[in-house]
Amino acid sequence: MPMVLLECDKVIPERSKHIYLKVEGEDQRDFLPISNAATIPGTLSERGCAFCGAKLVIGGVLKDTIQMIHGPIGCAYDTWHTKRYPTDNGHFNMKYVWSTDMKESHIVFGGEKRLEKSINEAFDEMPDIKRMFVYTTCPTALIGDDIKAVAKKVMSERPDVDIFCCECPGFAGVSQSKGHHVLNINWINEKVGTVEPEITSEYTMNFIGDFNIQGDTQLLDQYWKRLGIQVVAHFTGNGTYDDLRAMHKAQLNVVNCARSSGYIANELKKQYGIPRLDIDSWGFSYMAEGIRKICSFFGIEERGEKLIAEEYAKWKPQLDWYKERLQGTKMAIWTGGPRLWHWTKSVEDDLGVQVVAMSSKFGHQEDFEKVIARGGAGTYYIDDGNELEFFEIIDLVKPEVIFTGPRVGELVKKLHIPYVNGHGYHNGPYMGFEGFVNLARDMYNAKANPLLKLAATDIRGAKSALKEAAE
Amino acid sequence: MGCEITTRERAGVINPMYDCQPAGAQYAGIGLKDSIPLVHGGQGCSMFVRLLFAQHFKENFDVASTSLHEDSAVFGGHMRIQEGILTLVRRYPNLRIIPVITTCSTEVIGDDVEGNIKYARDQIAKEFPGREVHIYAVHTPSFKSSQVGGYSECVLSTWKDIAKEKAPATGKLNVFPGWVNPGDVVLLKHYLKEFGVQGDIFMDTEDFDSPMLPDKSIHTHGRTTVEDIKASTGALASLSLARYEAASTVDFLKNTHGVPGHQVSAPYGIANTDAMLQKISEITGKPIPDSLVHERGVAIDALQDLAHMFFANKKVAIFGHPDLVIGLAEFCTEVELEPTLLLLGDDNTRYKKDPRLLALKDKTPSEVEVVCNADLWELEKRVKDGSKKYDLILGHSKGRYVAIDANIPMARVGFPTFDRAGLYRHPTMGYRGAMLLGEAIANAMFTHMEYTRDREWLLNTW
Repeated sequence: MPMVLLECDKVIPERSKHIYLKVEGEDQRDFLPISNAATIPGTLSERGCAFCGAKLVIGGVLKDTIQMIHGPIGCAYDTWHTKRYPTDNGHFNMKYVWSTDMKESHIVFGGEKRLEKSINEAFDEMPDIKRMFVYTTCPTALIGDDIKAVAKKVMSERPDVDIFCCECPGFAGVSQSKGHHVLNINWINEKVGTVEPEITSEYTMNFIGDFNIQGDTQLLDQYWKRLGIQVVAHFTGNGTYDDLRAMHKAQLNVVNCARSSGYIANELKKQYGIPRLDIDSWGFSYMAEGIRKICSFFGIEERGEKLIAEEYAKWKPQLDWYKERLQGTKMAIWTGGPRLWHWTKSVEDDLGVQVVAMSSKFGHQEDFEKVIARGGAGTYYIDDGNELEFFEIIDLVKPEVIFTGPRVGELVKKLHIPYVNGHGYHNGPYMGFEGFVNLARDMYNAKANPLLKLAATDIRGAKSALKEAAE
Repeated sequence: MGCEITTRERAGVINPMYDCQPAGAQYAGIGLKDSIPLVHGGQGCSMFVRLLFAQHFKENFDVASTSLHEDSAVFGGHMRIQEGILTLVRRYPNLRIIPVITTCSTEVIGDDVEGNIKYARDQIAKEFPGREVHIYAVHTPSFKSSQVGGYSECVLSTWKDIAKEKAPATGKLNVFPGWVNPGDVVLLKHYLKEFGVQGDIFMDTEDFDSPMLPDKSIHTHGRTTVEDIKASTGALASLSLARYEAASTVDFLKNTHGVPGHQVSAPYGIANTDAMLQKISEITGKPIPDSLVHERGVAIDALQDLAHMFFANKKVAIFGHPDLVIGLAEFCTEVELEPTLLLLGDDNTRYKKDPRLLALKDKTPSEVEVVCNADLWELEKRVKDGSKKYDLILGHSKGRYVAIDANIPMARVGFPTFDRAGLYRHPTMGYRGAMLLGEAIANAMFTHMEYTRDREWLLNTW
């Protein structure tokens, strides 16, 4: 089956290079959607910008760090209250945003003085906080403000603070993915190796590419604790700035989200010789496999088997209860990128759910290689899908539940299709064994919601189904 | 007592109260029917604003982006404006309006938006003869003003482009409420109906609260049509209910088309609503209907149960849009709440001279502190250092943690209110709005009394 040209894309035929329908016997050698390419203007794409990829996804997760956004107010306002990544210190990261509130005169005459003043004020106003990320945005990058020079000056005047600069304006790259990349590489080059960690276990690792969405990190941490493994740094769920400076001292880099954070794992291998081990943290069979891989690296296989057995005993019966009821459910996944390949096989194996369409906002070629390898035939694989395409795909594959963001969730609600928040989750965490039961529960509750039947009932026609049943 | 007006002294902002200009422009743009605003800038400039609208209304709204990438930042985004417009027109056959909203980046680059729109128009004329699509630039660099000014700018640009000709007299009333909720729009329509006055609410956002229907049709969009806008030049008069969000378009209609313009205080609270209704009566020559006198009485009756028993001497901090904050402060003085801190959140220097603010000092027994160009840190700092004590916070959801952490009761009002269900459906304007807000305040206080075991037994017999 060739790439697909949807009806709504007749006037932008190049979109057919981004949409693939897999048929039996094909694999990714035959067809692979183009990805990580420029968006066609005016398509109502789902993509965000590179700045948000850096600030919102990675930097803003840290629990002890001021996130100073050097730009007009919107870049700060818009990357605040849009994420669900709690911390164990009262959610400092979700409560605040900081902006230099650039106005026209600063655009004309330069904003470095204003940045310096804003940095000093922020540290003065929050005297317990000693760490800061500074981000450029579109206009401050265009006028060429030297944020690194400003940070250096402040650091020389305030020896107890440390500042990291992320120069990644919104227009860089084609999506938020560019921001992940820039932050990863800048961080390893500038900050890793500047703090020595306290080592408390003979087994140490960094856990990379997990952002503590609804407590994912904290749930998985219980496993590492039971296994006796010290996590030197979380990149960046529930993480601290200084932990991330000590990443060079771990024995192993375990990577969950390879898209947002694989770069730093590769660099840690290159610069410090620390091996990279990729795992999937969603799903029973994947999570067990991940624990086995980690334990086998450290030679603590027995501990791993014990943990897996305990977790299976506790959670598998609940998972099976949902599997029985979700078997054969048609699901769509419209998220960022990696969750497509993390989830498609795990929902199939663990819940008997069939993923019929997947759209990625910012996945690259390797994400599509993975998802097409893991995903089924008869499924659509879409890069940078847009609204009209979603309508058409829904008609073609008729998903019963869609894992996507809240805004698209509101859209598909009108089509009587329930959504589950595929970014921030409904009631997570979703990682680990307990987490996947949560995911199954949320999927089941979404699908079982009686309101959908009521919404479909036209009371002007035949008697409503519920009324008939009552009579 | 006195009224002290100051301005934020810090350069930086910690926790902003308003979003940037393009966000406000997008809010105005989605109020139009058969319209998809096209934001000329990075993708985040529209993506997060769409998310913000979705959080507040629990609905999806269509906003497009020119998806400015690196090459455009270097070489200019001309082609992306044209391509964006043409892609929209080609894929959405019913599309009639495209406001092209600029951002900080594209204003800094200096793209010739008007020139590119003209090119796109020519192309459309060739490809779709006879099809009329209103495409116009809305210049809203993010480094000027805020969402408040951006909203106003987009409404004005829309009128300047579409309302060019003087229409025949319609006898109708143009009502520009500013940035309000669908609940307010429904209330204003109800008032006009009770009056027997024909009129249009600009923007008509009633359908921002839209249903799930058996036929799966989607009605989540503005109702203000091209025809409504064109006809507005022939109206009897225009009424602006928001000095900072609506007045500029009312002035345009007056100066360009001779439509008499009237500015009233935003109708928050009883007296402001009275003044609005009297103004409508004066303009139209129709008496205020008995039904509205009845509604007024119901509201006052309800508020009377709350004022001196629960509200008196309670100090209130208020933040949000300027017309809303000032209106709410006036409402507070009617029900014995004491507006103590008012936060207005952008660099508009006109707020300081607003006569309503200056008049406040005669209306309240306590000292009123007004901070212009404020952020929410101004509120948090005062709460944390104990220099001021507030019994109640009135504002939008972005300030929720100040209330949560300091354990102060807070009633959500304004935009956005994503941490409470369904508020957009209820009016804040008018008698009914005053009553509902008063009751929301009372219930927030009552819940707080219960959670903190602070004389919760008072309510045993209330």
